[in-house]
Amino acid sequence: MHEMSLMGGVFEVIERTLSQYEIRRVLQVKLKVGELTNAEPDALQMVFEAFCKDTICEGAELIVERVRVRGRCRNCELEFSVKSMFFLCPKCQNTSIEVIEGEELLIESLEVE
Amino acid sequence: MDANRRKIEVMANLLSSNDIQAQVNRTHFRRNNCLAINVIGSPGAGKTSLLEKTLPLLLTDVHVGVIEGDIFTSKDADRIAVHEVPVIQINTGGGCHLDSKMVSRVLPEFNWEATDLMIIENVGNLVCPADFDLGEAFKVIVLSIVEGDDKPSKYPVIFRNAKAVVLNKMDLEAFTDVNMENMKQDILAINPAIQIFKVSCRNGNGLEVWTSWLSQEVKSYQENKV
Repeated sequence: MHEMSLMGGVFEVIERTLSQYEIRRVLQVKLKVGELTNAEPDALQMVFEAFCKDTICEGAELIVERVRVRGRCRNCELEFSVKSMFFLCPKCQNTSIEVIEGEELLIESLEVE
Repeated sequence: MDANRRKIEVMANLLSSNDIQAQVNRTHFRRNNCLAINVIGSPGAGKTSLLEKTLPLLLTDVHVGVIEGDIFTSKDADRIAVHEVPVIQINTGGGCHLDSKMVSRVLPEFNWEATDLMIIENVGNLVCPADFDLGEAFKVIVLSIVEGDDKPSKYPVIFRNAKAVVLNKMDLEAFTDVNMENMKQDILAINPAIQIFKVSCRNGNGLEVWTSWLSQEVKSYQENKV
């Protein structure tokens, strides 16, 4: 359950943000999680609630946006959606593919009051 | 809608504190001309057995240090210490992976003038360690074939991010229904550049090929080619 450690990272960012703004309450936290990571949305949801308890985030909503894997062919530069983790260029059949989306583990935004 | 409600764009990496420390570790390894590898595999795949068999073959010309990650015990470190190799145990106390800070805390324990290769054996787990950079030069997966040929496609993240996979327990092939061709095709579909080694830690087959590749990687790193 490394989602605990990842959520630690979310709260580091939240605390840093709180120190820069005047915030009474955090209402929503939005994450971007690539499919080429092992972060599980349900597990993130569960540990988020545990982390929020008795903090300024209590009752906040967690939104996890999954990001599909996209690759760019290093030969013909075609950008395409990588299906079933099969890294093969559909145009030139090259197998050297750079991942351009899908490895994100980001906190995108906070909604606060 | 509450008039006071407002949105703050953050766009920060959740792993930034781990990644920053990993970069510090990486610089440390580079400065000491030491190739660091992160060995990842399920519990029972044979990570420690592979180390035990690899060390005697390597030790003639490579100085090795070992960091053992384990949830509670020092059983693995005890097995490695028999080979008279500097070894430090990290107990994660329930944690399912090593992180870059845990590794950085034990680095002062080694003699860096006499370490060419640092082998970091992660906690037995194919999932969580994949997301945590320790500062290694590359990751090596140990997968025992009895785990099944579907494992690469079920755990693609780690296979995408590793430089080599050691397929262990080849001596058991005849006793299982594992389809080695499917396993190989799936691994290469996820990561066409990965090196695949077939070994048996039990009967020793394949270990020399794997070990000489690893020695060569140490040399290339020390000659600054990687």
